[in-house]
Amino acid sequence: MQFPAPDLVSSHRLLLITDQLPAPADFLLHRFLHLHLKQSKTAKCIVLAVSESLERCKSVASKANTNVAHNESFQFIDVLDQFPPLQDRGEGHTNDISLKCIYDLLSVKLSDSRTNGQIPLVILDDITSLEWLGVSLVDLSRFARALRTLCVKMDAALVVRHHIVTPSEPDMLLRHLLQLCTYHIEVRPLASGRSGAVSGEVCVHLGPSMKDTNEHVISRTSALQYRLTESSAVFFDKGTSTGVL
Amino acid sequence: MSSFKRKTLSGRATLPQGTRLSPFSTSTVITSTGIPSLDDILGGGLPLSCSLAVLAPDHHSAYGELVQKYFVAQGLASGQKVCIIHDEPLRFAREGIWMAGSTPSTPAQASTTAEDADDVKASQHDDKIKIAWRYEQMKKFQTTVSSNTLNDDLCMTFDLTCRIPTAALDAARQSAQLIPIDVGISEDGTGVIKQIEELLSNDTNAHAVRICIPALGSPHWGDMQPLTVLTLLHSLRRLLHRYPNACASLSLAPHMCTDTWGGPGWVQKVGWLTDAAISMSAFGADPSLSSLFPSHHGIVQIHTLPAPHTILPASDKYSTLRGLSSAAGTMGGSGENNLAFKCMRKRLIFETLHLDLEGGVTERRTTPSSNAMALDASMIHETMPAAVLATGDTKGSFATVEVEFEPDATRAVADVPAKPKKPKKKVAFRSERPDLYDF
Repeated sequence: MQFPAPDLVSSHRLLLITDQLPAPADFLLHRFLHLHLKQSKTAKCIVLAVSESLERCKSVASKANTNVAHNESFQFIDVLDQFPPLQDRGEGHTNDISLKCIYDLLSVKLSDSRTNGQIPLVILDDITSLEWLGVSLVDLSRFARALRTLCVKMDAALVVRHHIVTPSEPDMLLRHLLQLCTYHIEVRPLASGRSGAVSGEVCVHLGPSMKDTNEHVISRTSALQYRLTESSAVFFDKGTSTGVL
Repeated sequence: MSSFKRKTLSGRATLPQGTRLSPFSTSTVITSTGIPSLDDILGGGLPLSCSLAVLAPDHHSAYGELVQKYFVAQGLASGQKVCIIHDEPLRFAREGIWMAGSTPSTPAQASTTAEDADDVKASQHDDKIKIAWRYEQMKKFQTTVSSNTLNDDLCMTFDLTCRIPTAALDAARQSAQLIPIDVGISEDGTGVIKQIEELLSNDTNAHAVRICIPALGSPHWGDMQPLTVLTLLHSLRRLLHRYPNACASLSLAPHMCTDTWGGPGWVQKVGWLTDAAISMSAFGADPSLSSLFPSHHGIVQIHTLPAPHTILPASDKYSTLRGLSSAAGTMGGSGENNLAFKCMRKRLIFETLHLDLEGGVTERRTTPSSNAMALDASMIHETMPAAVLATGDTKGSFATVEVEFEPDATRAVADVPAKPKKPKKKVAFRSERPDLYDF
């Protein structure tokens, strides 16, 4: 069983990944990165990292037989490097200046990569932490919208991850992101708690900007389950894991 | 001569003191928290470059601080640099715990060794219990792990009854092994982060550095908001990523450990911004829980676990206590064990949570011993007249109360304790037997 389907990541698309603390979606982000880098040598991949470290990216990639350390098409941008420290910030509006920096940086990098028809991939690993660190909701939703527009303009694919801390009621940022996304990939822990055989389940919902289609959609009732491995994950249909049977 | 040569690991020689390579991933270097069972939960130990947050929401206990004391003691004992961030860092260090036997023996010490000898004798005696042949070959039922099997030289054995000797503390202080940082230097924690950064940037890679924050958000930190705490956690984590020979362990102040302080999802936010986070919810707040689990002091909840170089946390594969991998052979199988902790006289342990046998193993006897009942009865007789007399004094003019007891009734009660004490009935499984947890 393979996930994601090869054409799930394509240009003009925003994939929103949501996860919860018991089942982090790190594996999906890394998987998107590895698949994209393996797909073609020249396809560019830009990681906007908020909480992920470059060290971990490298070691996970090397375990998955992907070399990112000496790969020119892999670019790692630490978002928080562009931020001034907390006490230097004025009343609110310096935040969007630094988000603007990231936007500008990204647009330069993307326009560099517009060669030979390959789709560049942009991964924003953690938009929620930005909100927790004090960036205002308005700035963040504008930033997300600007990122999406930029990626549509540059024929790039965009993957954004959001953490859900209150599963019962969606927060404001999630509502904004849901309006923007093409597909919403939901990673959930099992309701029955942690298990060695099944780490969690993945569903794919259609975003509002997509036409009615059932392509790629995986409903919650037929969710795809996965078990984490050292560098990635193994996917299987509900109830068919050899560990379960 | 064979042409095969054993591949020597060059990295092993340069490992800092008190650390070792993780059995799970060769790029991960782990160090011990000082508590073998917590090490097991974390997957062998706390990896360098990771931060551990311990949440202990009970106001009336200090289990979070206790974990930090273990962390500091382990660092000092294994020769690593220890940086304590506290309002009185040196006082915190002086209150630290230490290994048994290193301090000059006091009378209290002597008595504990005598007790230990008793324990050993008792355990030897227990070993001779006749067990049905079918079960005789089976492993002893264990609820926790011991340091001998898991961390032979990584984790020292500390004794809660031992204070850290002043000489050791002074030596550590003079050789700059112990670095105190006062939290009073800034309002929002940025000063603390700057000091840590300075410390880490001046440090060579020869030593592992432990950063310990025993009570983040206590009144001495000033008026902390959720935003400042999260920013501090995030910047600390970024620092650790930049200087991978350091690790950090912190406890939040008790009032900050629940969602009521930081708004909905607060605990999860803390979990997302640290590498490892566990909650130790003591039963102290809820008498019904403590009576339900008489042999434990609180429940352990795991929020997140460190995985600095892999997708899968090492704990999922290696933790004996969590038991995710033990069953079902190669594929890994069963669900996660419930975990609890208990603090005994000498050590804090994390273990699997089980319901007691029906009626409670510790209480199980065929008949309640007659002598305890008799004592209770005589107690009632002694206290009652006193209480009645007291009321008689205050209202002396209104009423006089006279209470009389037949003297022969009390004598009959007094005779009973002379009866020889009935021996307790032996039960093969007893949860409070200390030899199971002998580290």
